[in-house]
Amino acid sequence: MRYGLTEEQDLIKQSAREFAEEYIKPKAAEIDHNATHPAEIFTKLAEYDYLGLYFPEEYGGSNAGFLSFALIVEELAKYSGSVASILINHSAKAAYALNQWGTEEQKETYLPALIKGEKLGAFALNEVGAACGIGPNKVVATKQNDDSYVLSERKAYVANGGAADVYIILATTLSEGGKENLSAFIVEANTPGLTVGKITKTMGLRGCRFAEIVLEQVIVPADNRLGYEGLGAKIISETLDVASIAQGAQVVGIAQAALEETLRYSKERVQFGKPINTFPAIQNMLAEMAANIHLLRLGVYHAAQLVEKGDPFNLEAAIVKLNAARTGQSALIDAIQVQGGYGYSEEMVVSRLFRDINGCILKDSSHEFPEQKIAAEILV
Amino acid sequence: MTDVFFTPKQLELQRKVKEFTEKHIIPVAREYDESGEYPEWVFKEAHKAGLNCLVIPEEYGGPGYDSLAVGLAVEEWGYGCAGFATGLSANGLASYPLAIAGTEKQKQLYYSRLVAGGKGCFALTEPGAGSDAGAVSTVAKLEGEEWVLNGTKCFATQGGYADIYVIFASTDLSKGAKGLSAFIVEREREGLAVGAVEHKMGIRASNTVELQLKNVRIPKDHLLGQEGEGMKIAIKTLDMARPIVAAMSVGVARRALDEAIKYVKTQLDAEGKSLAEHQSVGFKIADMATQIEAARLLVYHCLRLKDSGQPYSKEAAMAKMFATETAMKVTRDAVELMGSYGYSQDSIVEKLMRDAKITQIYEGTNQVQRIVISGQLLK
Repeated sequence: MRYGLTEEQDLIKQSAREFAEEYIKPKAAEIDHNATHPAEIFTKLAEYDYLGLYFPEEYGGSNAGFLSFALIVEELAKYSGSVASILINHSAKAAYALNQWGTEEQKETYLPALIKGEKLGAFALNEVGAACGIGPNKVVATKQNDDSYVLSERKAYVANGGAADVYIILATTLSEGGKENLSAFIVEANTPGLTVGKITKTMGLRGCRFAEIVLEQVIVPADNRLGYEGLGAKIISETLDVASIAQGAQVVGIAQAALEETLRYSKERVQFGKPINTFPAIQNMLAEMAANIHLLRLGVYHAAQLVEKGDPFNLEAAIVKLNAARTGQSALIDAIQVQGGYGYSEEMVVSRLFRDINGCILKDSSHEFPEQKIAAEILV
Repeated sequence: MTDVFFTPKQLELQRKVKEFTEKHIIPVAREYDESGEYPEWVFKEAHKAGLNCLVIPEEYGGPGYDSLAVGLAVEEWGYGCAGFATGLSANGLASYPLAIAGTEKQKQLYYSRLVAGGKGCFALTEPGAGSDAGAVSTVAKLEGEEWVLNGTKCFATQGGYADIYVIFASTDLSKGAKGLSAFIVEREREGLAVGAVEHKMGIRASNTVELQLKNVRIPKDHLLGQEGEGMKIAIKTLDMARPIVAAMSVGVARRALDEAIKYVKTQLDAEGKSLAEHQSVGFKIADMATQIEAARLLVYHCLRLKDSGQPYSKEAAMAKMFATETAMKVTRDAVELMGSYGYSQDSIVEKLMRDAKITQIYEGTNQVQRIVISGQLLK
């Protein structure tokens, strides 16, 4: 199916597919099995200019637009959901926030290194508990003087955590009226007091580990605050919207890979004297997967274009999130169903895709249903 | 749930298994999920507690529980860990063919091994014969007073540790499903070997293996029922096993619901309100609970039909399909409700979701259940 992409976008997608075939496909099972950050693949992503694809040229980016970035995520995710997650957390979260709200000086300091792959970025939002800024271990940034803050306590489930060189850390700050709000800080991994705590095992996306980031009296210069005090909530919501479009592309890629595997299997698998793809029950499942993936892909491309143009995209991002969750889960539940006991085996790729896809559709906070965000937009 | 229609014997078993699960299974379920090792010791514990062969009648030294009691027991095991539950209920599955077609002598032989603490294995599936069980290519040939079996079985639950097997083989390949026959094979028979161990995405504490049969010789009287009755025996066995898988799935789903409830009641949102106070969360919990309740009633109803001697094959397929779809859906909802924590191995719900997936596949895929249900309604 054609999606009205430009010639350049088609080429970018094609080259990402070839890249993934060559460098990721042979390593995908190992990345999942080893459950460590695949540094050599990250370096390769940088060599191919994928890390800075949609960033301005002045920082070393390619300025190729957010849709091109989504296309790359989709292609990489077909072969390894973990690699796609690393890229999303690096480029669509950490680097996105820096580019969007950083001062000229902050951008010059960090973006080129992130784009060249000299540094890996992470967006440290989660804390133990349901949302950022409420739990017993919430990270607080206390203003010491006009020049610096002291950060303490713990971040949890930080993707790329432990491997990252630069963290965007969301922390609770006190406004002048004494009211708590959220602010974002750029903190390098080697800052004294910052240590990596527990590495948490996950169902899937195991090459993009979740780590706890422990902050003990970490002194952060005020110059490293991203945006003004209290801008944290806005940074969180916009960054997560952008990321959810990229995660939508990741779901499209994983689900597409599952569909292709299942098409192949159902053609080869013979039961009752004929290939199982001749049975309407199997055909219906395949057709539903294809139809859902198509709709999700259209939604992702559309939302990515809005980001690219600078148009509002929060409604569309929430719609992508809702559809990605539905499509992603049902596609993999059905893909394994068609492959039966074999699909359930660790040796079959669909079992990894099943574990991975559920990590692409996590809600950022348990009570934040995408339906509610959509309703908030359409009820105005 | 209290149900005034349960007998004291059923309730007593439920209580016993619940205690067993809390003591022996829940504390170690995660550990065995990670290692993928087979917890053989749990069978010794089950044997000690009198829970190792629930379905074997009293006259053969078993506890003689009725099907509903067994369902209640397996539901509790499922609540603890579907991997353990699959292993612990494998003796039931492997005993049903005897109840269906075994002679007095065969029952004595087979049941005595299980009663003594042995393990059974039901081996039907082959690489080329999954949903299409009639395509079995393992063959059995009568040579004098012995059957000689040759072929390969796969996905045999507990096959690596079993002491006695029911193995399906064709006695006449030209007849397809009508040429299928069932045999009792003891572990020590020469030529029976355990092949590759299956590494699975879930129920990792259960043992799933390939079985190789090379000129395995067994006495003539190890044929269950008549030649050509294998398919009938397999279908009846699966009818009996389906509500039990369904009961296990109810247990898995119940666990997911309990974990989700605990989470949303204790976690706070940014305003300091508990997540449980959000209507969207509350409604999700209500949906999960309602589906579990419906699944459980289908299971209990089916088992009561069976225990009272009425036809229950359609109801078994319905219960299996609905309860396993419910387990998949509810475990998925729990992971979703619990976000990053739910996806991480810090919580148990990600395991429940991986485990739930197999219930839609084994003991007949849910597509096969639909064939059974529609076949009865449309005939």
